Amino acid sequence: MQALDIAGLSAGYGRYDVIHDISLRVERGEAVALLGPNGAGKTTVLRAIMGMIKQRRGQISVLGTDVSRMPVHLIARGHVALVPEGRRLFLDQSVEDNLRLGGLHLRRDHERTERLLESVFELFPVVERYRSRPATALSGGEQQMVAIGRMMMSDPDLMLLDEPSLGLAPLAIEDMAQALITLRERGRSILLVEQRVDLALQVCDRIYVLSGGRIVEEGNSENVNADGRALIDAYLG
Amino acid sequence: MSTFLARQSPRSRRVTIGMVVLLVAYLASTFGVANGSYGTQSLVLVAAIFAILALSLDLVAGVTGLYSLGHAGLFALGAYSTTLLNSKFGWNLFLLLPLSIAGVGIVGLVLGFLSLRVSGLYFAITTFIFTLVVVVLLSDFSFTGGLQGIAGPVFPDFPPGLAFLGSSVAWCVGLSLLVTIVIIWSIRSSPLYPVLLAIRDAEPFAAAAGVRTSVMKVGIFGLSASLAGLAGWAFSFLGFISPGQFSWTVSVNILVMVILGGINTRLGPIIGAAFVSAFPVVVSIDPFLQEVIFGLIFVVVIVFFPQGFMGLVGSLARRIRARFRPTAVVVEAVEDDASTPIAYAHLAPQEAVSTTRALPAVDEVALAAKNIVFGYNRGVLALNNVDMVVKRGNIHGLIGPNGSGKSTLVNLMSGRMSPNSGTITADGVRIERLRAPARARRGVMRTFQSAVLVRELTAQENVGIGLYSRFPGIAARSPIWPLLMGARRDSRAIAQKSIAALTSVGLSSGWATTRVADVPHGVEQLTQLAAACIAEPSILILDEPLAGLSSGEVEQVSEILRGLKRAGVTVIVVEHQTRFIFEMCDEVTVLAAGELVTTGTAADVRANERVREVYLGQ
Amino acid sequence: MLQVLLSGLSIGAVYGLVAMAFAVVFYVTRVINFATGQLLMVAIMLTAGLSKAGLPDWLSISVGLTASTAAGVVIYFVAVRPVLRFDRFSFAWLVSTLGVAIVLQSAAAIIYGPTSQGFPKLLNRDNLVIGGASITLQELLAIIVAVVAVVGFEIFRRRTLFGKVGMAISSDPEMASAIGARVTAYAVAAFAIGGLLAGAAGVLIGPITYANPYLGDTYGITGFVALMIGGIERPAAAMGGGLVLGVLSVGANTFIGSQASDWFPFVVVVVVLLLAPHGLFASGDALKRLASGIGRRTATLKGAN
Repeated sequence: MQALDIAGLSAGYGRYDVIHDISLRVERGEAVALLGPNGAGKTTVLRAIMGMIKQRRGQISVLGTDVSRMPVHLIARGHVALVPEGRRLFLDQSVEDNLRLGGLHLRRDHERTERLLESVFELFPVVERYRSRPATALSGGEQQMVAIGRMMMSDPDLMLLDEPSLGLAPLAIEDMAQALITLRERGRSILLVEQRVDLALQVCDRIYVLSGGRIVEEGNSENVNADGRALIDAYLG
Repeated sequence: MSTFLARQSPRSRRVTIGMVVLLVAYLASTFGVANGSYGTQSLVLVAAIFAILALSLDLVAGVTGLYSLGHAGLFALGAYSTTLLNSKFGWNLFLLLPLSIAGVGIVGLVLGFLSLRVSGLYFAITTFIFTLVVVVLLSDFSFTGGLQGIAGPVFPDFPPGLAFLGSSVAWCVGLSLLVTIVIIWSIRSSPLYPVLLAIRDAEPFAAAAGVRTSVMKVGIFGLSASLAGLAGWAFSFLGFISPGQFSWTVSVNILVMVILGGINTRLGPIIGAAFVSAFPVVVSIDPFLQEVIFGLIFVVVIVFFPQGFMGLVGSLARRIRARFRPTAVVVEAVEDDASTPIAYAHLAPQEAVSTTRALPAVDEVALAAKNIVFGYNRGVLALNNVDMVVKRGNIHGLIGPNGSGKSTLVNLMSGRMSPNSGTITADGVRIERLRAPARARRGVMRTFQSAVLVRELTAQENVGIGLYSRFPGIAARSPIWPLLMGARRDSRAIAQKSIAALTSVGLSSGWATTRVADVPHGVEQLTQLAAACIAEPSILILDEPLAGLSSGEVEQVSEILRGLKRAGVTVIVVEHQTRFIFEMCDEVTVLAAGELVTTGTAADVRANERVREVYLGQ
Repeated sequence: MLQVLLSGLSIGAVYGLVAMAFAVVFYVTRVINFATGQLLMVAIMLTAGLSKAGLPDWLSISVGLTASTAAGVVIYFVAVRPVLRFDRFSFAWLVSTLGVAIVLQSAAAIIYGPTSQGFPKLLNRDNLVIGGASITLQELLAIIVAVVAVVGFEIFRRRTLFGKVGMAISSDPEMASAIGARVTAYAVAAFAIGGLLAGAAGVLIGPITYANPYLGDTYGITGFVALMIGGIERPAAAMGGGLVLGVLSVGANTFIGSQASDWFPFVVVVVVLLLAPHGLFASGDALKRLASGIGRRTATLKGAN
């Protein structure tokens, strides 16, 4: 059973769809990248999976559960978690509150919450050090770690990340990539939207290239590395 | 008159004749009311005064997006100032007409200036409080007659020779409404209307087109206030005035009239005003039950018909029209390029191009940003000591990874923000402290990464907004626009230029008349490009013009850029698609993490080690 | 002086409760419920009517408070939710909640008649003399209820998970739903709390004002003015605005003239809005965010890639 199986997904905001007839899958324990130029519809795919777009058609199933008609908050409860573009932390609340809010649907399962919190702190020791600070006091890189931690806290079947490298310093990007690799090694299923091809290839097993709202290329990372630049050229125009 | 009509096209002749017929009918019905029974008169006159108020509110709320709850207060100022200055100081009523219009208008300007420091909901709240304060002041002073109010002045009757016209007050109110209708409808048919909608829905776009949006908002509010003053002046002749007639519920009632009838429509506010004022008279039941029904109508209309009466009519009409219109309009195929050459040049008269831009000195600097430092907060610098020099007539690429500061630099060059330190010069003039509209007027135009246009206007109307700064006095002439020969000529010129600009970016006339809400993303991007090109900028900044475009449309944009280059325009392009950049650009600047990496020709940049490292990720 | 302070605080507590009722609803939903004053009136009228019919005071009061709470929820479902579903950023609720206000007020006038009726005296009989200033127990109760409400709300907001989710919804509703928060449930709760606070204000002021269908209008406006003075962003700030307004109004009555409290609040609010457009106790800029949210509307609708 796939962590994510999308078939024939179209979605958009007005009379015209932004993405057309998208089919993609993420196997369990696999990390998959979605690449494409700005405006190709990558964020729309993530928002559609998360249920944040009302206008969507097609099948989206997460570990066999059909989520294509579920409201956002139910999708969020253990099925899918999102690190949105720009992180969108709850800035006036503390780092720890942000993390615990990520595990909202587990609030009756204290033990699991604490375990998840431990695993976040283990992955990002710096986050533990700042746990009682307000989120707004953290640097961009640290905030990104909190956002990833918040995503981990709901123990989701599928993790979605929207351009997590955006606005981070090179060192912070490296740390974040390592964290994603660790998550993948722990068997988490990840769908990563990225601008930085190197990062996507470093973290992910397979990639899809999206252009003009359609999937135009698909392949696995080794091929891309070996084959040369065909895919990347397509991506960079 | 006959020569005047003969010079017009058949369509506008029909419109003119229609308007004359309407005018005659209006005057005839005013005559009817003026000779009608007392009951009819008081009903119609009150409705007419509220129609003035509703029309003036729709101008700010519906068209410009400023939900004013201050109109009852402004209305009260008009009525009370007329009454008090006449009865206590004996000022002439006809002198008071311009005085109350101007006086209330000035109050409106001040109120608008103060409340527009904070936008959106806060504007509604501050104006709401203005009404509360006015009413409290009127109630608590004996000078104004306190809660009981005060008898309004008596409007002089017609001289005996004109007595057949009937009640002079009816004519006074009728003509006031007529003037209001003329002003509001003129604005709605002028090129200012799309500009106001842009201020409401797409303020950065309007600013980039050279519209000083905050000045415009205050000005429009002032105009609306002076119309409320006119309503107050006329209202004072209807009998007693007391604070209760101007309470905050009246402000809300006016808003309800606008929404009930149909916000941002020609007739909606008038219909709404007629309905709301006639309701208590026509439905004469227990006054409390009447109020209950009235409140229920508010709720039901807002919940079930948020577009109001005219919205209902409009959607019906659209549905009927849709049956007679082909639905699919297709972007002109790119293969047609050879047959439809990109014709930026025809936007500018040929000679103008040849004199001002034909032979740009190769090394002349068009735009230079020097030592730019900028940080959003006190924290990290988004740009640290960045230089960028763009030569005239070049296509200059600006690339860098996401978050490298490209958009920030574009915003600094186009005037959305000003740098912390450093200088920006365009054509040798320092511009770094100018706001966006001022820079647009100097010929520095821009587009945005994802187009935000006015969705309810057609592509053509959106493009016309780009010409705002090229036609002098649009705002000043708008209240009597259709009556001015030159203005009508300008309207035609704007329409022609807009269509030409759309054609030059490869959009067929089918798209020109389609509402932007109903076009695909690519067409929207091209429309935005046309809106920037139409004003013939000397420097054009494009922020990711390819975002979301198909490969065919990318080819189209390349062709447009070549056309712009031929016309001598300096173009700065921010883009991710490096193949496009390296193919199109004469020079390329690379940023990374807020610092300048290098500037050079495409070949140099491509070969640069650090560029490959930071940008291409190799 | 102390008398002015005590009387001011007690009436200010009532203003503050109404302002808080506005603010709690705004905090979670970004909607101003203009029928808040009428919720106060609902509690007063029902309590008065039932106690006149012979019910014990405590029962009448409970029914009154329950009714205002329930009415708050009904307003959400009838006048607010459908509007926000049509357009999340529209201000149409401004008109629909005012419509509800008119309906409630006129319905009360039909049922109870437009004139004032008796209200149970409750604790208004007994006086307490503190340092030469006298205060009725009812007034003291108002101050206590206000303190409990504001302290309780702040603890609830900052210390409980429920409150923290509320904060999250307040700052970013879409993201809050993406972590599994049921935004609708919180909106319902906010309208219920708003109804309860307004109702409590009604029961506290009832013995002094008696029951009248138009009280909602008076106290709704004064509460709204208090809200603007304190700041709409945080419910605690709204309570602060109420207390400031109460003390200033009583002070104006004492030192300027008996009618001064009619117009003095408006002078205060104008001065405050000129100096601090977001209110005296505002820290954040919720409205600015709301405004930019509206600006962003078109961008989110169409621009998001």
